[in-house]
Amino acid sequence: MKATHLIPLRGRSSLALGTVSVIGLAAFGWPFLTDPGSALDSSHAGDAPLLFVAILPLLAAIVLAELTSGEMDAKSVAMLGMLSAVGGALRALGPGTAGLEPSFAIIVVGGRVFGRGFGFVLGALTIFSGALITGGVGPWLPFQMMAAGWLGFFAGCLPRATGRMEILWLAGYASISALLFGLVMNLWFWPFASYGPETSFVPGDPFAANLFRYGVFYLTTSLIWDLGRAVISLLVIGLAGSALLRALRRASRRAAFDAPVVFER
Amino acid sequence: MRAQHLITYPRNLHPGAWWLWALGLAAAASRTQNPVPLLLILVVTGFVVAARKSDAPWAKSYGAFLKLALIIIAIRIVFQAVLSSGSQGPTVLVTLPELPVPGSTGIKLGGVISLEAVLRAFYEGLQLATILCCVGAANSLGSARRLLRSVPGALYEVGVACVIALTFAPQLVTDAARVRSAHRLRGHSSRGFGSLKRLAMPVLEGALERSVELAAAMDSRGYGRTTDETRVSRRLTGALVFGGLLGICIGVYGLLSGTSVSWMGLPMLVAGCLLGAVGMSVGGRRTGRTKYRPDPWAAPEWLVTGCGLAAAVTMFVSVETDPTSLFLVSVTAVPPVPLLACAGILLCLLPAVLAPPLPRSTATKATGAAELVGVAR
Amino acid sequence: MIRFDHVSLTYADALKSRAPVLRDVNLSIPEGELCLVIGRTGSGKTTLLRAINGLVPHFSGGTLSGRVVVNGRDTKDHRPRDLADVVGFVGQDPLSGFVTDTVEDELAYGMESLGLPPDVMRRRVEETLDLLGLAELRNRPLTDLSAGQQQRVAIGSVLTTHPRVLVLDEPTSALDPLAAEEVLATMQRLVHDLGLTVVLAEHRLERVVQYADRVVLVPGDGRPVRDGPPTSIMQDSPIAPPVVELGRVVGWRPLPLSVRDARRRADPVRAQLAGLEAPARPSAHGAAGNEAEALSPVALTEQLVAGYNNVPVLKGISTSLRPGEVVALMGRNGSGKSTLLKTLVGMKRPTSGQIRVDGRAPATLRPSQLLRHVGLVPQVPADLLYAHTVALECEQADRDAAVSAGTTLGIFERLSPDVPAGQHPRDLSEGQRLTLALAIILAARPALVLLDEPTRGLDYTAKHRLVEILHDLAREGRCVVLATHDVELVAEVASRVLVIADGELVADGPTADIVVSSPAFAPQVAKILSPQRWLTPTDVATALAEVTEVTQL
Repeated sequence: MKATHLIPLRGRSSLALGTVSVIGLAAFGWPFLTDPGSALDSSHAGDAPLLFVAILPLLAAIVLAELTSGEMDAKSVAMLGMLSAVGGALRALGPGTAGLEPSFAIIVVGGRVFGRGFGFVLGALTIFSGALITGGVGPWLPFQMMAAGWLGFFAGCLPRATGRMEILWLAGYASISALLFGLVMNLWFWPFASYGPETSFVPGDPFAANLFRYGVFYLTTSLIWDLGRAVISLLVIGLAGSALLRALRRASRRAAFDAPVVFER
Repeated sequence: MRAQHLITYPRNLHPGAWWLWALGLAAAASRTQNPVPLLLILVVTGFVVAARKSDAPWAKSYGAFLKLALIIIAIRIVFQAVLSSGSQGPTVLVTLPELPVPGSTGIKLGGVISLEAVLRAFYEGLQLATILCCVGAANSLGSARRLLRSVPGALYEVGVACVIALTFAPQLVTDAARVRSAHRLRGHSSRGFGSLKRLAMPVLEGALERSVELAAAMDSRGYGRTTDETRVSRRLTGALVFGGLLGICIGVYGLLSGTSVSWMGLPMLVAGCLLGAVGMSVGGRRTGRTKYRPDPWAAPEWLVTGCGLAAAVTMFVSVETDPTSLFLVSVTAVPPVPLLACAGILLCLLPAVLAPPLPRSTATKATGAAELVGVAR
Repeated sequence: MIRFDHVSLTYADALKSRAPVLRDVNLSIPEGELCLVIGRTGSGKTTLLRAINGLVPHFSGGTLSGRVVVNGRDTKDHRPRDLADVVGFVGQDPLSGFVTDTVEDELAYGMESLGLPPDVMRRRVEETLDLLGLAELRNRPLTDLSAGQQQRVAIGSVLTTHPRVLVLDEPTSALDPLAAEEVLATMQRLVHDLGLTVVLAEHRLERVVQYADRVVLVPGDGRPVRDGPPTSIMQDSPIAPPVVELGRVVGWRPLPLSVRDARRRADPVRAQLAGLEAPARPSAHGAAGNEAEALSPVALTEQLVAGYNNVPVLKGISTSLRPGEVVALMGRNGSGKSTLLKTLVGMKRPTSGQIRVDGRAPATLRPSQLLRHVGLVPQVPADLLYAHTVALECEQADRDAAVSAGTTLGIFERLSPDVPAGQHPRDLSEGQRLTLALAIILAARPALVLLDEPTRGLDYTAKHRLVEILHDLAREGRCVVLATHDVELVAEVASRVLVIADGELVADGPTADIVVSSPAFAPQVAKILSPQRWLTPTDVATALAEVTEVTQL
């Protein structure tokens, strides 16, 4: 079934998305990308995370602007807003459930039905509206927006499938990406969490040593949450995925996104 | 002088001014781990929030952020003092019974807890906590929802989508409550995983149908009517934005890589950011769309922003000129008091009086009556 | 002002049939008229209204042949957004069309999109607030307003752009009679004072046909659309308010459109009908038809107090509901009708007092047990529906009620024939959704059937079907309770009326006793023929037929 691409990725927007993603990867993974002897080495290591916290909001704004500016008509904006409302309301349910992210199912299914570009913007805006609803706009927000955006983007890149194969693809993708989301967000938090030299980032050390330390940190802090999140995402898509897909596709039909408009005399 | 410039005229301060003030304080906090200025910043933010916070529900977020900050400090102390053997120092506070841990990763459970470890954890955690509290103060005082009204033209669609999301999320919650109570009518109890699907589907389908209705209403009222930018201005914006992105790329590469060519690092990054920001504010400028009663940016906004800026600047200057007063010689030493930085931080108390008082809303608890009408309908 | 030239509209959607929704429509609406568009559900009224605005075909897709010209602008060249300063469109559900948070911002939104300078915007917002009586609501959040206020804000939000044409799709369907009167009076004022052209689609013609300058009848199925002055279209329109039906029965020419017109000619008819009795409504009896006195009530309340937190909504209701009767629960919004229904179903626990349904307290019943004793069709029937086809929904209902497979589908097909079982429940019309919800409730054969505002959004045909269904239920020996504002429905079907005001029961008796002399609850026929106690045109027709039989003998 042909997907509707509500936000087509043309040359300019793809370039923006690609560039910002590369910088975003650096923003997340700079502990492993820092060469010894660089400016972000030992003396300024405390500044690096704050530096990236400062520039990422601008990057998020740039990529969202490039993707949406001039491309979206009222139907797409309304659909985006409504799905972000659903996702945001799910995130605002409470601190406990927010860790388990039931809204990921919406992002994955939305990206699948409405295309990659829409999936990226939906992921970012779901996180953002969840934060606005709860009144908690923190320094972690642009990072979560980028990560959720990638989640939605790659959901739109999954291969064509129908029926049970599609649910399998989506459920598998949702659980793996939920785990990766946790891994990546934990990586962002890692430099802030110097819980002793065994688990914290030591600037200037070789790659393998830092990786080992990150592994220990991850196992002791966030693995449980991430496994829980992966299981929840798997369950939600496995049990409700076909209903969700059906509902979104029906809405897409009723909204007549691509319906031809013909005038005869 | 127009009424908006008076600091006594009651109105809502532009949320951007509060955010800039808070970011100034956060920038100041990020330069040091000396507990004296950090605690001072905490006190200042708490005081200003108490003085100028509104009654809206999101104004309570300062409390939530403060709790989060305290939890972070507590976790850090627990991890460093109790679980890490590498960070202990000579002065022993207490010795707990130790549980053996397999392997030699250096993690211990219990054992020696030293003062140095506790203090170091506390000071490091304090910096993070202070930054969080500044952000929490910004959340409480400068509602991000009001900021959505002032987004630049390039982010107009995103702004509209966010406004739609914020408007409809509470309605979805009401719908969900109604559907949940209707479960009983079909003979289902409201528990169990199956009931979630029975709850989610009507609410989701209703939301999707509403989105099409909403789009029709928006279209009928002229959404998207304004003329798009000309080719030239699109090219200009594109050049600025992509030039900015390129600058940021090079800057980040320069900072991360081992080469020490001076212009490739921070200066390039800053230049890239400036270019990108200029591109964003220039671009997407839509001819033909106007704003109804935008939040004014008048003298009080300048003053409040100036205070935040002063705190950041004095801290940066202190770091350059008088580093000994900002850095602790050893963890257990008495922290020194940096006079210039603290003066700048104390200046940030002024917005408690410089920001205009909040208007008293005349539409008071009509929500009570409306609840009865709405529910009994 | 609005001209349709040989317009035919076909949707591109595979779900809708290939046949054109509207065929060869020729219509010309001059400036300053109030034009009423009537037709059954699904006949194409909404398509006609949306074609004025350009929403069809630009927004919904499809093929338009012919021309639609509004104020000199052809919708072929002008998209809906280009017509925003000429046509103001207000949809059915105002809350779904609101883009902002507060009343003032909503009024200003249309003008922002048009790019008007701020001082002009400011002035127009103030004028519109005064025009629609919204001045004290200006800073209120939109979700806090009542339905009538929301509808006025929706009208105001399209008026600020100073359009020449106002198009409204069923503006009063979700409103109670008082709020509907306010909205219609506002529209009258707009037409007469401002010279706007108003095109309005409505199901409940009682309130509005007297104001219309022109009526457009959309018969549906591609048959030709007719338009003309109200008196001539109403002569043989299949959709007509009770006053017109009475006029046809009695033979008045030209047809009266309002109660006042009819009453002026009513003396001869009253003379003819003097001494005759209206046929009885189904009153309390068992399944075998035995008399009411001997039967135990299906439900019983004694000094029932219920409400929210510390606010009692019901303040001591004592009543009993017997099998075989159709009880109408009337009262203004907020008086406690919905609360009483919810307490009968156990969705609300009583704060004090007794309530018994089939001898048990409903709040103590588990949901699976509840089904056999009492069922409620809520205000929004779609709340009960979550499967994606009608057949699946019915199968689930069979399982929930523990009845044999196919029961629910059988009941539904009897209630609403010609609905394909593979259709999505949300694609059904309002009336069909209501009957699906009713079929689901009836699967478990409850003794007490409750309906909360069932006629919202239903056209006359669907209402007649509902009346027949409710009569059948009463004949089977069940008790049916309707909470409704619709006085015509009450006149047709109810045997007993309970009026709740401020949480207390202020009236309880047979329909004719309660409604005939009440200014708020009397149906049109009762108002015309009072002090005689006639409730519906059918009653009058039956009585007149008897008179002519008698005189012929």
